[in-house]
Amino acid sequence: MSKRETDRSEETPEEVRYDPDSSRYDVFECPDCDNVVLALGRDDPPMSCHDAPMERVTDVEMSVKPPDVKEVLLDAFGLPKAGLDICLCVIGEGPLSANEVAESLGYDRSTVTRYLNTLVDLGLLQRSELNREQGGVVNAYHSVDLERMRRETLIGFYVWAGEAASLIEEANLTKQDYLEENPDRDLPDVFWESFEK
Amino acid sequence: MDVTRRAVLERLAATSDAERRETTTPETLAAALDAERRAVEAQLKRLADCELARTYPDGRVRVTITGEELLELDTEGTVVVGEPNAGSEP
Repeated sequence: MSKRETDRSEETPEEVRYDPDSSRYDVFECPDCDNVVLALGRDDPPMSCHDAPMERVTDVEMSVKPPDVKEVLLDAFGLPKAGLDICLCVIGEGPLSANEVAESLGYDRSTVTRYLNTLVDLGLLQRSELNREQGGVVNAYHSVDLERMRRETLIGFYVWAGEAASLIEEANLTKQDYLEENPDRDLPDVFWESFEK
Repeated sequence: MDVTRRAVLERLAATSDAERRETTTPETLAAALDAERRAVEAQLKRLADCELARTYPDGRVRVTITGEELLELDTEGTVVVGEPNAGSEP
């Protein structure tokens, strides 16, 4: 077992099941079609599909592994713990030099610079060029508005979750197609071949 | 008394000028900020590392053009990627 797998199993041993009463998030489904939506925040006005209110899902059988925020950030945004550490450092008290960030976090300066640019690409930080007295410019990395950061991360994650949901749908359809069209082939081969790029 | 780096930079910008090369002293800044002179000097050293302040051998100090432009961004917590050991002049 890899260290990553070991860490995950040690830190998050339990499974979780959707609790409609928790009010942390809601899952709705359309009674007339296969539309399923995830809602975070107030359901006002209520979700609708086919001009009719959607119904809150209450009968989920499947349990899932509780997400680990570090794993989520890595999978959804390609942002490992180092990137998150650096992002949090920028949001804190400043101004700081890149060397100071590197020293305080124990990373190489090149690592700090690389992730600063990655964070800009993700929309989590802004980069501004400031003039130097000796000529040239120096890059200043600063936090975006916190509300904008919240929106970017949430919508970014939803895009990732949408891509994942599409893959799951595709997997279910692939299995269905296989059962109809390939009764004499092994399902695992056909299934995984269909997802190869 | 602790003093934040940003507070020192803001006070420095208010009492010195990059273009006219007007300077101030750590003592003046410390008095204005009601802070220990050594705490102010430590923050000035860090600001100089970021090229936001310029220190002189006689102890005088001023904001740099970079420092003034940073304040114009009007943003909280900032990392400035500058050259190591820049910001001091012989």
